Amino acid sequence: MSKTGKPAERMVRKLVIIPAYNEQGGIERTVRDILEHAPDFDYVVVNDCSTDQTLEVCRKNGFHVINLPVNLGIGGGVQTGYAYAWRNGYDIAVQFDGDGQHNAKYLDAMADKLLSGNLDMVIGSRYIKKEGFQSTGIRRLGIRYFTALIRLITGQKITDPTSGMRMAGREVIGLYAKNYPKDYPEPESVVAILKKGGRVDEIPVQMNAREEGVSSISPAKSVYYMIKVTLAILIAAVRR
Amino acid sequence: MSLKIQIIVAALVVLALLFIANMVRKETLDIRFALSWLTVGGVVLVLDLFPGIMNYLVHLLGIELPVNMMFFFGFCFTLLLLFSLTVKVSRQAEQLKRLTQEIALLEERMENQNRAGAAAGFDDKK
Repeated sequence: MSKTGKPAERMVRKLVIIPAYNEQGGIERTVRDILEHAPDFDYVVVNDCSTDQTLEVCRKNGFHVINLPVNLGIGGGVQTGYAYAWRNGYDIAVQFDGDGQHNAKYLDAMADKLLSGNLDMVIGSRYIKKEGFQSTGIRRLGIRYFTALIRLITGQKITDPTSGMRMAGREVIGLYAKNYPKDYPEPESVVAILKKGGRVDEIPVQMNAREEGVSSISPAKSVYYMIKVTLAILIAAVRR
Repeated sequence: MSLKIQIIVAALVVLALLFIANMVRKETLDIRFALSWLTVGGVVLVLDLFPGIMNYLVHLLGIELPVNMMFFFGFCFTLLLLFSLTVKVSRQAEQLKRLTQEIALLEERMENQNRAGAAAGFDDKK
């Protein structure tokens, strides 16, 4: 894959996609962080039919919201953001969690990396410099396993394949707008891009421990998670 | 198989077929889904009325007891039906997801236009 035309002459249009499900406590801080530290980016909150006051908080603050009438889960929510980015002509779209885990100060560096490296995707990785919140030991083990599996299949080392902080160029935006996994989408969708010949790289970022909300992956679901994602990666590897 | 059982089974199957046909008539059941059930009912009815067919098939396939054959084919049919249903559910989940996203995106666009209109001093009717 290669970029069509150099968007250097005109303003590069950049969008932050903030998937939000029951993030009433963290969404305001998240958007303010973006407004303050990444002012070149437009943003959109994708409210995935939250059952708490997430939508009301956004409306009260006049935040830009896409409001899903039915709960779709993380994959369907993020994909809505990519569809929005695709239709509105954005050159770059980046996923950014609504719970305060991610820091907007890295967004400019990610965009620079994407454009200067002529890349298709840039992932914000916790495990290059190993600073900031590193997740729990057992999860790190799972993430290392996915790193190894993806390396085996694609030959590329992705140190943080489960990172929800990912920036995509125009082509990947189009691909994701068409096809995106429904649940636990991150590792699988990276493999899909790599398999299509996409250029993916990472930059070191620090993330914060979750302050609001709960992880979508409870211990009981983690076995299902490992099996589902493994299978999905293997299938993505043979999909053409 | 006694005549009594034969009559009871036939009556039950006919009732079930009528029930399904009525649901199709009232359009609560899609005829595409009704077809497989009507076929099953028809096959059971024929086997019930002509037990010779079953005995012949059992002999042909080398199965010891007719009831074993019924269980086997019933199980196969159920699996097939369940699988086709999961395929349909998958497709409908995808369709529902698309529709949900379209509605959300349309709503966003309307809000955006209203806001732009209001900012330019026009009302929504313009």
